[in-house]
Amino acid sequence: MENITLSLPSKAEYVSVARLTASVIANNMGFNIEEVEDIKVAVGEACNNAVLHGKCDQDRFNLNFVIDGQIFMVEVRDTGNGFDFEEYTEPDLMNPRENGLGLFIMKSLMDEVEVTSTVEDGTCIKMVKNVVEI
Amino acid sequence: MKKSYEDQDQSWHVDIMGEVDIHTSGNLKDALNNLLNEKETSIKINCDKLIYIDSTGLGVLIGVLKRVKKNENDIFIQGAQSNISKLLNITGLDKIFIMSE
Repeated sequence: MENITLSLPSKAEYVSVARLTASVIANNMGFNIEEVEDIKVAVGEACNNAVLHGKCDQDRFNLNFVIDGQIFMVEVRDTGNGFDFEEYTEPDLMNPRENGLGLFIMKSLMDEVEVTSTVEDGTCIKMVKNVVEI
Repeated sequence: MKKSYEDQDQSWHVDIMGEVDIHTSGNLKDALNNLLNEKETSIKINCDKLIYIDSTGLGVLIGVLKRVKKNENDIFIQGAQSNISKLLNITGLDKIFIMSE
């Protein structure tokens, strides 16, 4: 099992750094092109949330990648104000809104998505994808 | 990121290239709205050089779609690569924009 940790400023221009890192890790694990892209997109969306909901510019957000054989896991943590599940509703795809697609996309592309969020500690988005043996 | 011109089909033609994400989607929003400020027509977007778009980029397109719909216009998406098509499909946006190869 390997751990890879990345700590980035909570600024939009650094999300691409996280996406690229996720792509390389996933590629090295043997995911196919489409799966690597899925992971890249999902990680990007999780990081978008961290940047958008963080408290301020001086904040940082963290990624912890865990590679365990055929299992890719990543936790994206921010120290923002938390995410209120009461307010989250699944997007109505016939009436698209400008916001709220990120979580839906993550859940569509990854095998598991778990969001833990408190006002005191911020938000952690944990996602898992399994390498599929053909 | 894009260039544009109006054509004889009474709509803006736009090429979006590279990546549109949380860092650059604001620019896309401004650019498209500026076109519409000049002339409120449909927008035909050529995506064959678009390699990545995230939910903030999609949000911009949805916002622009709402604006063009007020004038009974549409957004046309052309030439989307497979990863972009997949995203438009899972979000249902391929039913909301007019898609073509």
